[in-house]
Amino acid sequence: MANPLRGEVVKLYKNLLYLGREYPKGVNYFRDRLKTAFMKHRDETDPEKIKKLIARGEFVMKELEALYYLRKYRALKKRYYEGEE
Amino acid sequence: MASRVLVRCVRSLARPSARLCAGNVTLRAAAAPLPLTQRSFSLLSCNQRTRQTEQTRVPGSLVQVCRQYGDLPPLTLEMIQDRVMYVLKLYDKINPEKLQVASHFMKDLGLDSLDQVEIIMAMEDEFGFEIPDAEAEKLMTPEEIVQYIADKKDVYE
Repeated sequence: MANPLRGEVVKLYKNLLYLGREYPKGVNYFRDRLKTAFMKHRDETDPEKIKKLIARGEFVMKELEALYYLRKYRALKKRYYEGEE
Repeated sequence: MASRVLVRCVRSLARPSARLCAGNVTLRAAAAPLPLTQRSFSLLSCNQRTRQTEQTRVPGSLVQVCRQYGDLPPLTLEMIQDRVMYVLKLYDKINPEKLQVASHFMKDLGLDSLDQVEIIMAMEDEFGFEIPDAEAEKLMTPEEIVQYIADKKDVYE
């Protein structure tokens, strides 16, 4: 409980939940997957491993952002150049 | 706008006797030359009175309209509690029948810390302000959440 990394993990979870609101498959799908992913490592105590897992979570956040950018530009392109491709 | 239309109507009526141009009607009426007929003068003066009342009334109504924008009824402790309980009842992992004001999220309702983070996020959305992580960790029962929100929003008994 008193793990100093706990705050970081909670922050990561919160940020991922915020990002998940725009997930193409819906919030509920994303939230369930996120929950199971976090619960898989609930008994982790080694600080090194926890740090690695947090880094992985931050990587997933960046991937999600990239996904949203890509989706946005695809939508823009489709609207500007409709039927030209 | 309404007063301007009124002035134009009066002007077209009074044109044969009194030559009024685009100046201030009240000033003109006060400085009107003697040859005015009695009838048109009385018309002008009574019109002047209505204009004055209109002018005094319009700003007051504008202020009232502006004040009603973004006006919320003041929060009370019962209202905060109702909203908190409403949000919690809609949360799918909580059994609404088991939910009490004093029930502990983890001990009584069987939630874990990640669920508690989700509840705090829902409260942030409901009340429109951010709860810092350090404070959010300590909020474990609905009544603690109510107390915290009341403190932040300056609501007292």
